[in-house]
Amino acid sequence: MDALAQLGQALLGFMTPGALFNVAWATLLGIVVGALPGLTATLGVALLTTLTFKMAAADAILILICMYVGAIYGGSRSAILLNIPGTPANAATTLDGFPLARRGEAGRAMGIATTGSVLGTLVGILALATIAPVLAEFALEFGAFEFFWLAVFGVVIAGHLTALDDPIKGWIAGFLGLLVAMVGQEGIHSYPRFAYGSTDLAGGIGLLPALVGAFGFSEVLIVMKEPAAQVVKAATDRVVPRLKDMTRYWRTIVRSGVIGTTMGILPGVGEDMGAWASYAAARRASKERDQFGKGSVEGLMAAETGNNAAVPGAIIPVLTLAVPGSAPAAVLLAALFIHGVRPGPLIMIEFPTFISEVVAMLLLATLGILIYGLLLTRPLLYVLAVPRERLMPVIFVLCTIGSFAIASRLFDIWVMLAFGLLGFVLREMKYPMAPLVLGLVLGDILDKSLRRGLVLSDGGLGPFFTRPISLVLWLAILLTVLLSFGKVRGALARLLQRRASGEETGG
Amino acid sequence: MSPEAGDQGASGRGMVRADLVTGLVLLALGVGVVVESLRMPRFEHLNINPYTVPGLVPGALGAVILVLGALLFLRAARAGGWRTGDGAGAGAWSADPGVRRLLLTAGLCVGYAALLVGRLPFWLATFLFVAGFVVLFEWPLAASRSERMRRLAFALLFGALISAVVTFVFQEIFLVRLP
Repeated sequence: MDALAQLGQALLGFMTPGALFNVAWATLLGIVVGALPGLTATLGVALLTTLTFKMAAADAILILICMYVGAIYGGSRSAILLNIPGTPANAATTLDGFPLARRGEAGRAMGIATTGSVLGTLVGILALATIAPVLAEFALEFGAFEFFWLAVFGVVIAGHLTALDDPIKGWIAGFLGLLVAMVGQEGIHSYPRFAYGSTDLAGGIGLLPALVGAFGFSEVLIVMKEPAAQVVKAATDRVVPRLKDMTRYWRTIVRSGVIGTTMGILPGVGEDMGAWASYAAARRASKERDQFGKGSVEGLMAAETGNNAAVPGAIIPVLTLAVPGSAPAAVLLAALFIHGVRPGPLIMIEFPTFISEVVAMLLLATLGILIYGLLLTRPLLYVLAVPRERLMPVIFVLCTIGSFAIASRLFDIWVMLAFGLLGFVLREMKYPMAPLVLGLVLGDILDKSLRRGLVLSDGGLGPFFTRPISLVLWLAILLTVLLSFGKVRGALARLLQRRASGEETGG
Repeated sequence: MSPEAGDQGASGRGMVRADLVTGLVLLALGVGVVVESLRMPRFEHLNINPYTVPGLVPGALGAVILVLGALLFLRAARAGGWRTGDGAGAGAWSADPGVRRLLLTAGLCVGYAALLVGRLPFWLATFLFVAGFVVLFEWPLAASRSERMRRLAFALLFGALISAVVTFVFQEIFLVRLP
């Protein structure tokens, strides 16, 4: 009851014209950013962080959260109408959304995407409101040993899940991110690592310029390299969702919401996997499995519920552990620090009302996407019709300003360029970007925790392996690595199969 | 379930090759990082706790990169990454219009961000970049002389507009310092 009262108070606090105006424009901008191929949620949140860093903390964070939710939802528009995911999180949406649009049911598809996104976010918000305070209290038990394993666990699990075909590439991306985070002054003796006398390098590689490069500049390059896309014939059928679509697939909605939230909570895994995992689970459980990929309402619902549920999910570890659940959440984490909020296990003690404020912000953003989703069909079509030759130079100008503005260093523009080119090459070779970002964020935690842990244990490795939470974490890491080897997985599958066939047949 | 399952096979050959080279690069990077980490100061004269030396974590990360690079290299080598391609690769690559667009985009962006910004006033650099980008990409699309002129005029206007709006919005509304 206390929590509900707090939430009500937080919601009331945002009922000012200024805050509502911010919700209105930031959510709309988020939807546009998400809908435009080449602009992702990560880039949108990163660019807005630059714009809002002179604002009051509550306003700025509200704007960033609206951008985040709006962009993940907005990406469904281009997925349905162009067959191009507006953000990577909407890749699974194309599979059934585009066939529906080609069949002349673009309006229905957009309605389902709106419903799925709204309900998915609500499931995620519920999880955030209930899990985050508990997790924060649990995280008080975390010491240097646990944080060390948490950083390794994050990179290993994100690397594995974002590159399922080839986890080694995910891990390479993750460890490269950790390595890049080592550049610059370290946190214990202030020794400038890998600086070679350069004051710029001694200051370290900024997270935001690197992100703007990896998600902005490299995306510009990818968009310009691909052949131009065609918008499918404008929607003519109604976009108001049908009640039948919702009641019929309520199981899919709940399942996808839970899976999406879980994927969000896992460090660095995020919205993309929220959508893919929900989609795969829905297909496995569906009675109309053969319709998947050909315009299945259920498949579209699963993908769009899953990716939006991952948004509040990804914010859970941001608030309670200061570990981002996804790439856009990594930017949000950086923005929280910029604005003087120190997320982590102490959040319920230092900022007791902050979690309910974030819940209120998410609720407002959800309301925003619901309203815009139903109203904005035609205007968004015009946005999608802007030729990339005119859009991309503007995006790149924003990337340049965005990387410069936070610290006013020309060096940051160089970092953006370098990460853009590196990101492009890595993405062409199928390396995922999310673990790289996660590595960049977790590098400092890993560095300090390992060395502090060793000081505490006087060089002994025992506590790293025997403390209960550490034990769970390193076993999970070991299991993830072992399971990614085909031979181990095959042997396990055979064992399970033998056991299953021994007990019963079929199924 | 996997996002990229479909296009693994199509570029399989080129990918094995790329993995081989990447593996080698990562191996070299790993060795370099380990060596550099060993050379980092240990601050013995300051009597610090030996477990807090700055080179500890970078060295460990370098070792992990080294191992992952070696794994990638060995896998690609076993998959036949050593065999030379059919020779048509480079020619076909540069003739691909996508690659030409890519190189032009990369050149324009790097030229703007690395050379123009910081030397010219921001509004001028932005005008030149945006107008130039639009002209260079839309010029070949025009069929007639008059259409070409129209596109040129549009590009100049568009560049001026974007430059003015961006400069105004960032400097005056959001109070951001421009380069």
